[in-house]
Order: sequence, then C-alpha cells, then structure tokens
Amino acid sequence: MSAGPYNYSYIFKYIIIGDMGVGKSCLLHQFTEKKFMADCPHTIGVEFGTRIIEVSGQKIKLQIWDTAGQERFRAVTRSYYRGAAGALMVYDITRRSTYNHLSSWLTDTRNLTNPSTVIFLIGNKCDLEAQRDVTYEEASKFAEENGLLFVEASAKTGDNVEEAFLETAKKIYQSIQDGRLDLNAAESGVQHKPSQPGRNNLSNDQQANKDNCAC
Amino acid sequence: MITEPDKEHVLSKRMYKILESRIENDQDTIEALRELSTFYTENTLQARRNLRSQIEKRSLDINQNFLASFKAVKVSFDSVYNDIAEMNKSIQDMTLQLQNAKSQTKKLLQKTSALQEEKVKIELHQDITSSFLKSFQLQPEDLVALYGDGHKRDVPITFDTFRALEKVQEIHSNCKILMKAGLQTLALDTMEQMTQHKEGALEVIYRWTQSHCRNVDNPDLKDILAQAMAKLQDRMVFFKYVIEEYCIGRRSFLVGEFLNALTKGGPSGNPAPIETRAHDAQIYVTDMLVWINRAIPIEKQNLQLLVTSCTCENLDEIVNDALANICEGICQPLKIRIEKILIVPTQAATLYAVVNMLRYYKKCINKLVKGGQLEDTLTELLEKSEQVFLELLQQQINGLLVRVEAPPRDLSPTSAVSHLLAVLRDMLSTASMSEGRETDMIKIANAVLEPLLRAVNEQAARLPPTDMAVYLLNCMYSMYTCLSMYEFMEDRLERLQAQSDAQIDTLTSEQASSLVANLSLGPIYTILQDHSQDALSGVPGMEPSNLRNFLLKLTNLSVQPDSILLPQINLLLSSKHKKSVQKRSFALLLAIYKQLYEAVHNPANQYDNPSDILSKTPEELNSMFE
Repeated sequence: MSAGPYNYSYIFKYIIIGDMGVGKSCLLHQFTEKKFMADCPHTIGVEFGTRIIEVSGQKIKLQIWDTAGQERFRAVTRSYYRGAAGALMVYDITRRSTYNHLSSWLTDTRNLTNPSTVIFLIGNKCDLEAQRDVTYEEASKFAEENGLLFVEASAKTGDNVEEAFLETAKKIYQSIQDGRLDLNAAESGVQHKPSQPGRNNLSNDQQANKDNCAC
Repeated sequence: MITEPDKEHVLSKRMYKILESRIENDQDTIEALRELSTFYTENTLQARRNLRSQIEKRSLDINQNFLASFKAVKVSFDSVYNDIAEMNKSIQDMTLQLQNAKSQTKKLLQKTSALQEEKVKIELHQDITSSFLKSFQLQPEDLVALYGDGHKRDVPITFDTFRALEKVQEIHSNCKILMKAGLQTLALDTMEQMTQHKEGALEVIYRWTQSHCRNVDNPDLKDILAQAMAKLQDRMVFFKYVIEEYCIGRRSFLVGEFLNALTKGGPSGNPAPIETRAHDAQIYVTDMLVWINRAIPIEKQNLQLLVTSCTCENLDEIVNDALANICEGICQPLKIRIEKILIVPTQAATLYAVVNMLRYYKKCINKLVKGGQLEDTLTELLEKSEQVFLELLQQQINGLLVRVEAPPRDLSPTSAVSHLLAVLRDMLSTASMSEGRETDMIKIANAVLEPLLRAVNEQAARLPPTDMAVYLLNCMYSMYTCLSMYEFMEDRLERLQAQSDAQIDTLTSEQASSLVANLSLGPIYTILQDHSQDALSGVPGMEPSNLRNFLLKLTNLSVQPDSILLPQINLLLSSKHKKSVQKRSFALLLAIYKQLYEAVHNPANQYDNPSDILSKTPEELNSMFE
C-alpha cells in the first residue's frame, strides 16, 4: 500500500456492494467527484476511488472498492471483502427485488468480513419518490434488526451521500478509540497507519473452516 | 604864367614864389617844359609870337581829342548801363521766379517728408509681415514638400514632407503665443489653416504609406515608412487603415508563400515541396509547422520595422493583433491538411507524435503571436488530434481485446495483455518526454489500463478462485512493473497495489485452507475453537499421538516448504507475491499451533508431559519457518 505523499493517520478500506444497477458506482462518483454520472456503464470486476476526509481532527484516507453487482464477477469481488472496515450495502428503493436480496448480501458480508466491520445500509434513488417500492419504515426496521446503520440517499442529488460515507468513518474511528478494533493485531481490522506498510494479516480462511479465526 | 609883371604886392608875391621856386624840383614844370620842347624847336620871333597860339591850338587839339575819346567812352558806358539795367531786370524776374519756386518747393518738401515717414512705416510693416509670414505661414517649398508640385496624385514622400509637417505642427503650437499676445482672430485663423494643412498632409502621407507599406523590407523605404507611420499616429484611423492594408497584403503574401512551400518548394525545387512528404504524417506536420514557425518571426520583424518609430502606448497590442491578422490566412490550408492526416488511419504512436509536435509548436508560435485565429486553429487541431489519438488508441486496444481469451495454463498474462502493455510502455516513454506529460501520461495510462483491467477481470471471472487470484496477480504485477518506471503513476500504482493485496488475501486464504487440509488440522482446529469445559486430552482426535503426528508433519513442511504449496502459487510471476502468500499462510498455521501448544500446556486439559507431545515451542517452530 503505497502511502501517498499526503498526511493522513489512517486508511479505511470500504466496499460498496449490492445488486446490479442500484447505483453503487454513482454513489462512489458522487462522493469522490461531487458529480452525478448520468451514463454509468456496468462495473466490471471492481472500481476504485479514494478521498481524504477528517474525523475528530484526524485525517483519514478512504480507499473505496466499488464492486460489480453482476453475479459472474462474484468470485472476483469476494476478494475485496476481506479487510474492509466499512461495507456500504446498497439497494434501490424503486426496485423491491434489490431490497429482497439484502439478506444474502448481508450473509456474504458477515462471512467475509470480521465482526467489527461497520455495515451501512443505503436505500439509493430516494429522489424517485414517486416510484418508491420499499418504504422507509420497512428498511429501517430491517436495519435495526440486523444492527445496521441506515439512510436513504440519492446519488443523483447528492442527498445523504456524504453523510453515509462520513458516518461509517466515524463509527470505525470510534471502534478504534474504544479498542474494539485492534490496530496492531490488525489482522482483518483494516486500518493501518501509513507508516506501517507491512500488510495486515493473514486473514481468515472461511473456505475450509466456514468461520474465521485468527483473531 | 610865371613871368608877368603885375601889381606890386601880388606881383611881388608871385615873383617871390617864382624866384623861390626851384624849377628843377618842380615836376610839373619839368614835365611841361619837356612837353614844350617837343614842339618848340626853334627860338624865333615868329616862333615866339606864335607860341601862344600854338599852345592854345595845341590845347584845343588836346581837348578835342579828349572830347572825341570821351564820347566813345560815354557811348560804351551807355551800352554798359543798358546792359546792366537789363540784367537787373532779368535778375529781378529771376528773383521773383525764385521766390515763387521757393514757396512751391516748400510744399513739395513737406509732402516728401510725409511720404518718407510713411515709407519707413510701411517698410516696418513689411518686415513684420514677412517675418510673420516666415514664421506663421508655409513657404512655397514647404507646400511643395507637403503636396508635391503640380497635381500628380501619387506624391512621393520625402523627409522634407515630414519637416514641413513638423513646421505645420510648430506653427500650430506657436499660435498659442499669438493668442497670448491678444491676436485671437489671427491665431485662430492660422491654427485653422495649419490644421487644414496637417489634415491634407496626413492624408497625402496616408495615401502614400498605404500604397507603399507592403515594401517595408525595401531598405530605401523603411526609414521613410517608419517615419510616416509615426506621423500617422496622430490620426489613429489612418494608422489603423494602413496597418489593415499592410495586414491584407502580407496575409495573402504569406498564404502564397506557404502554398508555394507546400506545392512548389524552394527555388528550383530545393527544398523539395513539403507535400512530397505527405505520406509520412509526422514529417509532413513537422515541416509545415517548422515553416510557419520560421515565417512568423520574419513577419513580426517587418511589422516592427514599420512601427519602429511609433510610440503609442498600446503598440505591442497593435503589433500582436496585426500579426495575428497576418497569420490568419495560413490557418485554413494548415487546418485542411492536418485534418486530412487525422482522417487517414495510422498508428496511434504516429498520431501521438503529431499531437506532441502540435503542442510544441503551438507553444513556440504562441510566444510570437498571442491570440488570433492561428492560435485557435492550433488549439482546435491539437484538441482534435488528441481526441483522434485517444480514439485510435482505444480502437487499437479494443481490437486487441475483442476476444476474451482464456488465460494460458501457466496463468501468465495473455499475449494480448503483454502486447498492450508493450504499447503502453512505448507510448509512456514518448509521453514522458513531451510537454504536458503529466496529463498526457495519465490519460494514456487510463486509456490503456481501464479496458485492460476490465478484460482481465472478465477473463479471471471464469476461473476457479485460486486460478483467478493468480491470474489477476500476474496481470497486475505486469502492469505494476510497467507503470512503476514512469512518473505520475502513483494513483494507478496505489490502486494496483491494493487490488493485488486483495488477491493475495484470497490466495493466502486458499493456501491456508489447503495447508490445514493437508496437515489434517481441520478437526483439531474445530475442536480447539469449540472446546468446552472437558479436558482436551479426552476428546477424540486430540490424542497425544495424533498431535505428535501433526507436529511431525509440520516439521517436515518447514524443511520442504514447497512440498504442499498449491501448485498455482508457483505460477506467480512475482517472487514477492509468492513469498508473501507463503509466509502469511504459514503464519496462520503457526498461530493455530500456538493455540494448540498453549492448550496442551494448559493443566486443565490434562495432558501428561505436554512438552513431550509438542516438543517444539511456537518460537522454535517459527524460527524454522523463517
């Protein structure tokens, strides 16, 4: 991980997941470029974006992996779950099917990340109120039941986009402060000061042992 | 009579006197005697008797003589008298006349002196007037200098013209003195007159300059032209017209020259016409741009020659605008030709060279002339060529990646990937030496890498997880090594690095699983994780023999670490990746061993002689794997 020439104390790794066409890449683009990308092609494999933010006076570099929603890239995208400190799980409020798949996305995330990973549920396209197919209350309840943070956002208008990314970072930072996230043992903790480029860890081998280990 | 006896006393007295008188002393007597002696020659009686008559006769004669003589005298005297009287009369006349003349002359004199005074006055006036004329009016030679003699339309301008014009100017300003002296009307008239002269002269100069300005490189004319332009600054309208006229002339001249250089070449075909090299886009574009870059300074020099004596404040701007104007003509032919090149399919690398050439010369030309159509054209061409270049590059890439090839069995990057990376390396090497290299390089890297990464991901998505990770790692390693040779690639490298790390994680986990399976560690690990209060030694599968067996296997592995590695790990191109996967999967094993070691040494698990079962401490084992 080449720590760039910038001054920052942590790197937080995020992944953005969710069904095809829910607007994952647009959310990322809105967050990094503050612009709406109208004609966004399907993501192939993974895309990548960074932005430096500030939480409690600390500069934090967000390294965000935007994954392909298509099933055929699942093998490729799975590699990126490991070591994610934040997972943004996105559905489209105008398409119920994308909401219905959330539980399978959540299972994947829980299996592939470590328990301290902050999972943030985002109901995207909240600007299309007229075509709404999933109510706020329903999704909110789902989030609560599964211990997720939740917000409805719009990559088009930029509503709540910044907030979602920043809230996640705050939560992660808080975990570090509380000691729930051990930086040194870091294993899958995912944040490293840029001064220690030595990889985080051998991570967890779910494959054989279904559940992870090592930390 | 002397001897005459008379009365006594008188006689006596006489006597006495006679007696007393001494004859010899008496002159008269002597004289008389002498006279007597002349005619009384003989003393005879006769004679004595006659003496008296004789004397009387003689006296008579004498008197008669005297009378006759005197008569002549009188006559002449009378005529003299008459003459004198006449003279007197004439003189009197003359006096009268003189008197008259005198009185007349006096008037004349008065008149004369009056006239003389007047003359002096008039002469003074004349002096004043002529010196006034000299200093406040133009001399005929000035007028000739200004307007030429006769009515020829094309008056040749000389330095005298400027001198005369300066005089006009001077007179004009001198009129202020007149003004101060109270001669308002005169001053105003003169000023008006001078203004008219000035206008006339400026117009003459303007006409002449307009028709001669094209020949500014003629050494005979350049000084006069420069001075004429300096004069015309007083009438910016004329000045601008001349500059415009000049621009029009030079513009068509420049276009002509450019077209000649393109189609005819130099004199007797040396240098050869530029268009003969039209088949080689790079040389063709370079030649055209070089020609333009060489022609503009000459134009600039000429233009500056023209305005060399001008002092107006925005001169630089005028020169620049004029130059831009002159260059306008060549825009079209240049544009047509370069656009034609852009249409003809060529190699992306060739087009990139064209882009760089355009960029370089645009900068050079921009130093000579700012703004204007030429700059716009060059900007437009540059943008277009960049665009065409990127499109071409895209095409080339897409052409190479059109088929999603299956990765080869050794999981090395496919030939299309290697080929594209070679293309990228070529392009970046060229770009790293060009002007705006940072943006260029990033653009090129993006143009190549984005589709490449996508293609690689597509290919990898069809492979089983281990193969996928290895193939992706190999491809990204090739990209990484390619990019790491160039500047400005930090973001790309960071991303590749992060992507590689994710794949290394995957591989590590695959490898670790395979190790766990190979060492039959699975059950042991599961028991360790789930173990409840029961002592471990009693749990099936946790027998000391089994554990000893495990340690043996582990020791063997440390001797021959390659023996139970996944075969795909050996296909990793980067030894660093390989080492990292190996090290981390071993570390995972060691972590489990450590857990096991601690469990066995925990009395609660009731193992007899724990150090006999697991004879090696985790530290010892660790150093074996180092």
